[in-house]
Amino acid sequence: MEQKLRQEAKALLEQGKVDWIIGFEPGSLKFTTTPLITKDKNDADRLVINPFIVNNLADFLPEIKGRVGIVAKGCDSRSIVSLIQDNKVVREDVVILAVPCPGIIDLSKVERLVGKDRDELDDVTREGDKVIIKVNGKKKEFPVTEVLFDHCLACELPTPQEYDILLGEPRPPAPNLEVSGKDIENLKGLTPEQRWEFWGNELSRCIRCYACRNVCPACYCQRCFVEETEPQWVMPVPRWQDNLLFQIVRNIHVAGRCTDCGECERVCPVNIPLRSLTREMYDMVDELFHFKAGMDKEALPLMTHYEQEEAEDFFR
Amino acid sequence: MKQKTEWKPKLVGFLCKWCSYAGADLAGISRKKYPANLRIIKVPCSGRVDPLFILKALRLGFDGVLVSGCHPGECHYQTGNYRARRRIAITKRFLEYLGVEPQRIQASWVSASEGGKFTKVVDDVTKELKEAGPNQLFSERRGDGTKTKARSKGTTRARQS
Repeated sequence: MEQKLRQEAKALLEQGKVDWIIGFEPGSLKFTTTPLITKDKNDADRLVINPFIVNNLADFLPEIKGRVGIVAKGCDSRSIVSLIQDNKVVREDVVILAVPCPGIIDLSKVERLVGKDRDELDDVTREGDKVIIKVNGKKKEFPVTEVLFDHCLACELPTPQEYDILLGEPRPPAPNLEVSGKDIENLKGLTPEQRWEFWGNELSRCIRCYACRNVCPACYCQRCFVEETEPQWVMPVPRWQDNLLFQIVRNIHVAGRCTDCGECERVCPVNIPLRSLTREMYDMVDELFHFKAGMDKEALPLMTHYEQEEAEDFFR
Repeated sequence: MKQKTEWKPKLVGFLCKWCSYAGADLAGISRKKYPANLRIIKVPCSGRVDPLFILKALRLGFDGVLVSGCHPGECHYQTGNYRARRRIAITKRFLEYLGVEPQRIQASWVSASEGGKFTKVVDDVTKELKEAGPNQLFSERRGDGTKTKARSKGTTRARQS
């Protein structure tokens, strides 16, 4: 898969079909990968595909001018389709190099599982439904579901629907909603007061670094409402009330465009369980309007159209 | 000595200028009585109401928010109220999931000729909010998660502005 990607990327740049290639290269830390954005065809050999390609590269698309070849997992392709729906990206200007994705390994889950820092691990490899972790020369085997990201367990589209070049065999979806939706179910079992208290406490840790917003492919506003000063909707001081307000409104803004790719939760430096917000919003939009973000590039964006009769029950 | 008065809910209403605002006007002209708990803000269309307005009102300590627009199919701008409906439906459901009492977000369709309906809507909403009690959602808490008393009006304003 990796070899094919390098060849294709090189060919695309050489033939002038694209101006840029966005992909992954090995990161500076062990196991990690980092985004590679390049114009140089020789850089194509640096591209990698492994179980640690976490980033949602669609985030870079609206900012890059020219034609772009982009490496996309299933979730990334949905974000790209969502951007096409919003007229942020022209379909013809993007060459999607589709990676059938078996799920991405969450290194912090691996660390928790073996009780070692990632620097102390010798190797983490995946074989089918098993993940093999080598520590101090000893091999340990775990079921792969224990180390995958939560959103990968709920993945509905491992292989991109919208692509130009498919690298590898398509994979069937196998969403495991029971495991990945556990936190939301637990929350729904609480009373409203307890839930509000829970979110207040979680968001009191927020340092307002806006990493969740910056990493989100659906958050592309030139000027975010939190930065507006006339009127000042949200105080810049990170108090829990304003943090919560920011997070609620952000989720409402991305409703119908959020594909539940889990990037916001991954990048959160204080580990706020943001996916319990995004996933609930995702399911809610599906239930109310039968709309799934990023599935159909011809579909109109959720908030720009309507049905004659829907969601009427609470109107007086 | 401080006199004890009954607590009254504070309600902010975003009324569409083409229908509900005129409906409220008609209620006034017809000398109909409705609770004075509602603070009205005129908006050009219910589609103008950003979920942010609703959240900000709750953040400022309003006990409830009412969004009122034209009946489906009667929007002055053709589609504004349909869009508002999607937005408010999502906002309401999402806030309920987070633990906000469902009574705090209210919506209605009131046309310019429905002064009677407008008084009824405000009546009902006020009653529901009285049951829900004061908005403590964004009041200050201690570090351990327990709630402290709601801050007095003066300090809230000073910190907010």
